[in-house]
Amino acid sequence: MTLPEAQPVARSGAIYDLGYQGYDGPRLGRPAAIATLFWSSWRSAFGLGRSGRAKIVPWGLTVLALLPAAVAVGITALVGDAVQPFTYDNYLPQIAITLSLFVAAQAPELVGGDQRNHVLSLYFSHAIQRIDYAAAKLGALTAALLVLTLLPQLVLFAGKVLSATDVLSAFGNEVPKLLQILVSSLLYSLTLAVIGLAIAAFTPRRSFATGGIIAFFLVTAIVGQILTRMDSGEVSRYAQLIDVDRVLAGVTHALFGGPGIQGGGGGEGGGAAIPELAGMIYIGTLIAVLVVGIGVIVQRYRRVQA
Amino acid sequence: MPLISANALTKRYSAGVTALDGLTLDVEPGIIGLVGANGAGKSTLIKILLGLIKPTSGSVSVMDMDVATQGTQIRQFVGYLPEHDCLPTDLSATDFVSHMGRMAGLPADAARERTAEVLRHVGLYEERYRAIGGYSTGMKQRVKLAQALVHDPKLLLLDEPTNGLDPAGRDEMLDLVKRTGSEFGIATIVASHLLGEIERVCNFLLAIDGGKLLRAAPLASFTEQTGTLAIDVEDGAETLVRRLGDHGLTATLDGASVLVDLPNADPYDVVRDTVDELGLRLLRLEQRRHRLEDLFAERTTGEAADDAA
Repeated sequence: MTLPEAQPVARSGAIYDLGYQGYDGPRLGRPAAIATLFWSSWRSAFGLGRSGRAKIVPWGLTVLALLPAAVAVGITALVGDAVQPFTYDNYLPQIAITLSLFVAAQAPELVGGDQRNHVLSLYFSHAIQRIDYAAAKLGALTAALLVLTLLPQLVLFAGKVLSATDVLSAFGNEVPKLLQILVSSLLYSLTLAVIGLAIAAFTPRRSFATGGIIAFFLVTAIVGQILTRMDSGEVSRYAQLIDVDRVLAGVTHALFGGPGIQGGGGGEGGGAAIPELAGMIYIGTLIAVLVVGIGVIVQRYRRVQA
Repeated sequence: MPLISANALTKRYSAGVTALDGLTLDVEPGIIGLVGANGAGKSTLIKILLGLIKPTSGSVSVMDMDVATQGTQIRQFVGYLPEHDCLPTDLSATDFVSHMGRMAGLPADAARERTAEVLRHVGLYEERYRAIGGYSTGMKQRVKLAQALVHDPKLLLLDEPTNGLDPAGRDEMLDLVKRTGSEFGIATIVASHLLGEIERVCNFLLAIDGGKLLRAAPLASFTEQTGTLAIDVEDGAETLVRRLGDHGLTATLDGASVLVDLPNADPYDVVRDTVDELGLRLLRLEQRRHRLEDLFAERTTGEAADDAA
């Protein structure tokens, strides 16, 4: 194809030479490149800038995560404080399955395509380093999950404050809870993102990654529950640590107290019978999970062929 | 300032394959052809320049910046067109090229403006708003060139830019590359195993073979005239060789042509008279030019001679 040459226009006296222009402006370097990758990945986690089809799953799951909070607030507004199905202590365990599904669906979206289509070699030949890529993707998935974890709890918070007869004093009562809301959301989001990416980073195939992540959450939850219920000895007490949701619930409970751990298997109520462990054990387990998961991701991107 | 300066650059892969073997070279800006057979080490060299892979030993600098320590700095000024597919399928060309501009450090506004400009330069118009997944190979190759140009690089690394294109697509891509290199003044390295393509667009040549530098010189010196005169006659080539030998010229038979070494003295008159004397029909009389192929052919015969010795 021959390109239309920039033609000097003499008639009107104005000359439009649209020849190639160099670029002498600023080059923002590594930090800006990382920020770009972070935001574009966050957007892709919700299918923004993609086709409508890419939005169905992430938006559907986001609505699903928000729905219980919205309904609870609605009920409270209608019938008053009598029924309070959700507290800040049990909301995240209640939507744990939704969160896992979001990770299973969107973690491969963030990293699979780059490997499948060999876009990685372009990324690694731009103004970032390999570890920056891993960090931006992990940050983006965590931030995407924050929408699903933080937003409904803030809705609960707003509902509690605004439905009170004395809004100001209610606000004063609830404000200390903001720290719990923030920290628990962050812990859930980061942990699920780390696990999801650690699995998704190993395959360019979307179906494998999604299946692998679902299998991981299912198997750990089921094995954890079975071992826990088999007998009541030491084994069963520690077996609950296999279940990530249970560990997260345990950590939240250890940090902020509350009426007891409700995690495990989506919180269908069976968790009450499981004896609790010392808070430090949950915290230690979570730290180990995060360290191993992040280590796996970093190693993977240090070695992956580009 | 040399564009690229490599010193004893060596890359061995874990499988025991040596891709680069003590490569030392200095390259000045220009449109540089990087030629060699498949597996000669072209892609390996390009990937080392980009910091995509680390050399086993040796050092290399690009625009006076060390690849080992200033990789991100260098990559802000380098555009790369990989030989394989490298495009996402679910983004439009506009979105993707602009994204890559920002990945190279451009501010958002500048990335948008320059995206429109480079997509026009590579000849993508209305289709640039459609998802890349539906593009033809030729269009994808244009997007690959556009993303390599969007941040106005000082150095363009093109690895087999005509890969997978039909003859018409090849011509267009080579024209684009030539225009980009000569009109925009962007130093360009074009890796190819097709010598014909290199001859068309480049003005300097790096020939590598087996991970070693075969030759680095301006393209003209590869194709300069040689000290050989080629004579084609209709029949009686053997007779002509013998008779020319009688006249004191070193003549050999090469296929249907008679080759005569050009001594200091002009043999043209002798050749003309001899042909006339024998009553032969002269079809062609020309001074031979080196062809790029000879470069690799010479090396092969040289090796064979080494083996024999």
